[in-house]
Amino acid sequence: MKHPLARSAVLLLISAALHSAGATDALQRVQSDGVLKWGADAEGGAPYVFPDPQQPDHFIGFEVELAAALAHKLGVRARMVQNQWDGLVPALQRGNFDIVLNGLEITDEHRQQIALSQPYYVYSQQIITRKDNPSLTNLLSLKGHVVGTLSGTVAQRLMERTGGIDVRVYPGQAEPFRDLNNGRLEAVMLDLPIAVYYLTKEPNLKRSGDPFAPGFYGIGLRKEDTALLLALNQAVAELRADGTLEKIYRRWDLWDKNQLLIADYHEQKLAAQTNASTFRNWRLYLPMLLRGAVVTVEISVLAMALAIVCGLALALLRLYGIAPLRWAAVAYIEVIRGTPLLIQLYLIYYGLPNVGIRLNAFAAAVLGLGLNYAAYEAENYRAGIQAVPRGQMEAALSLGMPRWLALRAVVLPQAVRVVIPPVTNDFIALFKDSSLVSVITMVELTKVYGMLALTTYDFMGLGLMTAAIYFGLSYPVSLIARHLERKLHHDRR
Amino acid sequence: MIAVEQLKKSFGRHAVLRGISMSQQRGETVVIIGPSGCGKSTFLRCLNQLEKIDSGRVSVAGIEFDHAHLDHATQHRLRLHAGMVFQSFNLFPHLTAMQNITLAPIRVNHEPRERAETRARELLKKVGLLDRADFFPSQLSGGQQQRAAIARAMAMQPAVMLFDEPTSSLDPELRGEVLRVMRNLAEEGMTMLVVTHEMNFARAVAERVLFFDAGLIVEQGPPEQIFNASQNPRTREFLSHFADSDR
Repeated sequence: MKHPLARSAVLLLISAALHSAGATDALQRVQSDGVLKWGADAEGGAPYVFPDPQQPDHFIGFEVELAAALAHKLGVRARMVQNQWDGLVPALQRGNFDIVLNGLEITDEHRQQIALSQPYYVYSQQIITRKDNPSLTNLLSLKGHVVGTLSGTVAQRLMERTGGIDVRVYPGQAEPFRDLNNGRLEAVMLDLPIAVYYLTKEPNLKRSGDPFAPGFYGIGLRKEDTALLLALNQAVAELRADGTLEKIYRRWDLWDKNQLLIADYHEQKLAAQTNASTFRNWRLYLPMLLRGAVVTVEISVLAMALAIVCGLALALLRLYGIAPLRWAAVAYIEVIRGTPLLIQLYLIYYGLPNVGIRLNAFAAAVLGLGLNYAAYEAENYRAGIQAVPRGQMEAALSLGMPRWLALRAVVLPQAVRVVIPPVTNDFIALFKDSSLVSVITMVELTKVYGMLALTTYDFMGLGLMTAAIYFGLSYPVSLIARHLERKLHHDRR
Repeated sequence: MIAVEQLKKSFGRHAVLRGISMSQQRGETVVIIGPSGCGKSTFLRCLNQLEKIDSGRVSVAGIEFDHAHLDHATQHRLRLHAGMVFQSFNLFPHLTAMQNITLAPIRVNHEPRERAETRARELLKKVGLLDRADFFPSQLSGGQQQRAAIARAMAMQPAVMLFDEPTSSLDPELRGEVLRVMRNLAEEGMTMLVVTHEMNFARAVAERVLFFDAGLIVEQGPPEQIFNASQNPRTREFLSHFADSDR
């Protein structure tokens, strides 16, 4: 151990071992801290966990009450840790909180990754339609229809397994109901508690058919936290026996006789299954990623074309337009650049239907990205046009050219050369920003990655594959731009 | 061919032209001299409307305008009749010499390409650049660029040629070739108005010399009078800066 590097490597290993040894004793740590940290997503999380409309800095929901009751049994306080719903399991494994308590279904996929407690709630699937729709009462009847659901849920998997259903996947709960109301969707399929809660606020929607495909919600824990698992199983059993669970569920109108099934729950032996290696099975995953890449390319190319055309118009208005048009162009550029693309996408997709403009997700994605980047392109062109010496315009005018012709034949061809590097740069940036459109239900490359990673939990392998695809697509663009630049260079003064 | 009455022009509070009146006959070559900042270049730029005038009346090649009456059509006709050559050449760098010359005839006058190119070749021959027709400006020397720029302006067959310090950004050894081209033009009967510091050129080619100072024409007359017999102290003082060989 003479080498200092080797020594510090050993120290690192020891401390890592100590750390994981400490993690096996999560129950002890919870009790000594006096706090049980539970992970959940309060964004659109009704009726599980959500901000109290009367008091938005305060969370309410049946799982808030359940967490408090469980913590009470352990003799500690409960503290909620906010986390994106579809990232709860990886965040638990990273150690961001002690347990996941947020409608986590007891499925084999989840049990591959984490331990799950005895069930605390029996959920079922519910189809919701507009009141004027008499059909679509069961899973099979959804074939050939456009149906929305939440990303990474049992409902999504059920529909994908059924096949033939045009499934639109949403990151939050409020949006599918919105799109059902405005006609983008024909039905929504979700866990019953969500349906029960939202139907109280949606007068035009109804439950369609009976609930089906019951399943169990369980508390998620790290596999090594066995002491905490035992303590929680004990606590759940006591809460059921003393009627606390029923009381909570009745308060939220979630009690049904299905809940009696909890008593019959027997943990099934988990089929021995090694972690799927997405690298070894690349033949299976790569085509899915590539299909997502096609959507990414389509959206990026169309959005960039739109940005280039609108950007040029904006730049010309800003430089040569009459006063009101000039002001409008400046205002557009500043407002668009000064607000997040994400908000703009939400406004276009979910906001415009309020004024009667209903775009499909693809059109909204192209429009949102294109109009956003138009503001940046406009500034590129303005810089490019202003980089052309004023004498060029004067020489053209003195030859009797009208201003517009002088611009087209003399100034713009020179500006193009100046503008190629920043425009290429923006195209590559737009290409990657296109991943944001997954929030308006577009399934593009990053979304496919997310969905696959959440079923296989191979964030690493899939992530490398996805990154390679992005790079493989954007690098040639750089090369072409460099070539173009060199070609236009020969006549430089 | 050119008639100017009481032309005034200010940039902000700075009066650059304070009442210029002059006239020029067809075929005449007039040279404007004067210290930097005296308004010579601005005067030239006012004549083809690269600068707006504040007051006064101007007539160029039969096209009249004043500060209040100037529409786009008049401006366009004016520029068609008044060719301009700039100090910094202003050739279009993305086009060859040939394309520089034929661009306006083809795009503005809608001439057939053949005819425009035939005339461009004649003009290139005249300025001694026939073998450089397909060169880009970056491949030409400064003198060659300026000669190409003269050919470009001539291609629109203007009635008047305005030269704005055409040799000022050239090395001394390159000025001669440009001045020779200008002298040939003058001898062919072109109406030329030239702002320059080339006193030899003024002496040899000009029929009349205007001395500008502080936005006014201080003195004017044939070159012999201005260069050899000026009675005006400002003119004498200005000319004293030039070596005898330049005078």
